[in-house]
Amino acid sequence: MTSEQPFKIAVPDDALVLLKRKLDDTRLPDEVDAAGWAYGAPLADIKRLVSRWKDGYDWHTHERKLNALPMFTRTIAVDGFGELDVHYVHEKSAAKGAIPLLFVHGWPGSFLEVTKILPLLTSVSADHPSFHVVAPSLPGYAWSEGVLKKGFVVEHYAELFNKLMISLGYSEYVTQGGDWGHFLTLAAASKYGPEHVKASHTNMPICDPPTLSENPITFLKCLIASFTSHEREAAAASQSFFKDGAGYIAEQASKPQTLGFSLADSPVGLLAWIYEKLVAWSDAYPWTDDEVLTWISIYWFSRAGPAASIRIYYELAHLDNPKRVRFPETSVPVGFSFFPKEVVHLPRVLLRAQAKIVFESEHEVGGHFAAYEQPEALVSDLRTMFGKSGPAAGVVPGCTGY
Amino acid sequence: MGSEQPFKIAVSDDALALLKRKLNDTRLPDEVNAAEWAYGAPLADIKRLANRWKDGYDWRTHERKLNALPMFTRTIEVDGFGELNVHYVHQKSTAKGAIPLLFVHGWPGCFLEVTKVLPLLKAVSADHPSFHVIAPSLPGYAWSEAVLKKGFNAKHYAELFNKLMISLGYTEYVTQGGDWGHILTLTAASLYGPKHVKASLTNMPICEPPTFGTPIVLLQCLIASFTSREREAVAASQDFFKSGMGYFREQSTKPQTLGFSLADSPVGLLAWIYEKLVTWTDSYPWTDDEVLTWISIYWFSRAGPAASVRIYYEIGDAVVGFPKTTIPVGLSFFPKELARFPKVLLRSKGRIVFESEHEAGGHFAAYEQPEALVGDLRKMFGKSGPAAGVVSGCDGY
Repeated sequence: MTSEQPFKIAVPDDALVLLKRKLDDTRLPDEVDAAGWAYGAPLADIKRLVSRWKDGYDWHTHERKLNALPMFTRTIAVDGFGELDVHYVHEKSAAKGAIPLLFVHGWPGSFLEVTKILPLLTSVSADHPSFHVVAPSLPGYAWSEGVLKKGFVVEHYAELFNKLMISLGYSEYVTQGGDWGHFLTLAAASKYGPEHVKASHTNMPICDPPTLSENPITFLKCLIASFTSHEREAAAASQSFFKDGAGYIAEQASKPQTLGFSLADSPVGLLAWIYEKLVAWSDAYPWTDDEVLTWISIYWFSRAGPAASIRIYYELAHLDNPKRVRFPETSVPVGFSFFPKEVVHLPRVLLRAQAKIVFESEHEVGGHFAAYEQPEALVSDLRTMFGKSGPAAGVVPGCTGY
Repeated sequence: MGSEQPFKIAVSDDALALLKRKLNDTRLPDEVNAAEWAYGAPLADIKRLANRWKDGYDWRTHERKLNALPMFTRTIEVDGFGELNVHYVHQKSTAKGAIPLLFVHGWPGCFLEVTKVLPLLKAVSADHPSFHVIAPSLPGYAWSEAVLKKGFNAKHYAELFNKLMISLGYTEYVTQGGDWGHILTLTAASLYGPKHVKASLTNMPICEPPTFGTPIVLLQCLIASFTSREREAVAASQDFFKSGMGYFREQSTKPQTLGFSLADSPVGLLAWIYEKLVTWTDSYPWTDDEVLTWISIYWFSRAGPAASVRIYYEIGDAVVGFPKTTIPVGLSFFPKELARFPKVLLRSKGRIVFESEHEAGGHFAAYEQPEALVGDLRKMFGKSGPAAGVVSGCDGY
């Protein structure tokens, strides 16, 4: 384990020149008339974004902005996988008793997702708790090294995170995550809580369906539960996601290498693949072109390349003994935030059976990328959960948040 | 409806230059150690193929070879969709009574799949029947125009084929198909048989699973004693359904999203298709140039590669079907086909007059096992075959 190295993104000129050349040579597909979003990312949108990326979008401006973030790299050894160089954002609060918080992104997310909540979480006030924030890039994302050995699964991510937090002096901490961050932070809570992980918050609460043999009481509860119209609508939206919106999972979980050739070689291909999700999964978030292009550029210029980022789907779909993957078992207190345009919605009665749920909040606006779309709402939830007289107040000894 | 135009492929120099430039700028992904085929197309294979495509592979040589085929285009009108310009191979036999045969490819196939069976089907002999062969490129494939209106489904393909055959003077004909060719030819049989379509042979015999609505069939399937070969094949099918259908799920839901990659990245297109060429065949000894010609047809296609995957969106799960038809049907089973459905189930779906079980061959039967497939057609349609003389005045001799 090496010491912390301050990190600045510095995409070489060669890489920028290659991207420009590829963009200049973009060959676009045809499209059926009046396709809208029905067939995937609309041609007009992608055309416009490509034109901007080619001429007008200035990576260096955005690189400079990102470099204003407190970023670092450090090497962490994971049993059986050797040392992995991890890129992360680490911002300390000025409050002495600030709560250490591990924030974990997912796909097609990145450390960018922490940028809006960062100033809110670290702000100091008598009225709300403050946090020290650690937001790593998952291996194979942004500037974290990719894993080149098969079988890097939940417990390895958990080990990586736990060792990272401990190396930063946070032997006790809480977690927040959505998308893969949900799975992986709860895996950390399962493996390292309550000794290290004291509490977890998720903005994408999902779990495995109950079975009559394994969870009879929960199974029966789900059968007889009366769902609110809210829940019924949400369930219908989930069905729609699995039916029409989950093709990417099927490919990424089975043939990530095949898809990876396209994502690594084609800027417009990568753009369309991710942009489709940025729009479909957010709640009418008013993406600007440059915002999208920065998001995609992080994937394009990532240390391991875009193909590495999707292998997590394969590895976690090929577990020898898949048990409670969607919601690992943990004794630490857990909090839920429900955002209306999240892609998967499960019955509350089922989710509440997964752990000691001490906090729930229901929002009127927001989707999958909660920290990015609704930073105040998400931070407010964390402040309520962990603040004075909150249901998880003082879980981290000596770190009340004030 | 336009008249027949002889067709020669003539990819522009500009298009060749762009491909070369893109190949020169290829950016390859990383790969986990010892991945081999587990994660998809292996990096070493794609690297080698991309290098060959960049330097060494000569498109013009292969273009010339393809142009030796009897190819044509003609405009066919489809109700609700206007006129579509269709590219097709049309080879007549010298036998006066040759049987007109419509051959329909699938994805990621193309008219190339007919090239090896063509000389065999055309051959004239007292010992076996001869065929006139019509092999269209599906709309959006090779040099057939793509459909740009939503909703072009199986019955529209059937209408297109039927009109094509009739326009060529074949008011009665038989069909052969696999992959999309299976559902599309059987749909044609369902809609235009027995008046026009007289019989069909499929090399990808699949159908809807039995339900409680067909209790006898369901029971038969449950108690059928499968041969060990059927058991192996069914097990292999499970594998395909479990981890080989990612392409299907994406193509049937977000073809446009995927289309950006396939249209823009030669190596992306190469990997996407090559993975199937290898995993869906029975150890077929692909040469690099063979693969590259196959991919190049997609790359240089009239509508571009994105158009070819829309059929999955428009037809989707209905591809697993066996439309009701009264005409005689033949089933050719090849051991490495993707999905094996129980014979007892398939037999309940139509008038199955012919079955054959092969020892070698996979999904691309006409290309991998041309003699075997033609052998089946000859048996089915030859003198004293179970579908002998189905086409009036065309006994094949």
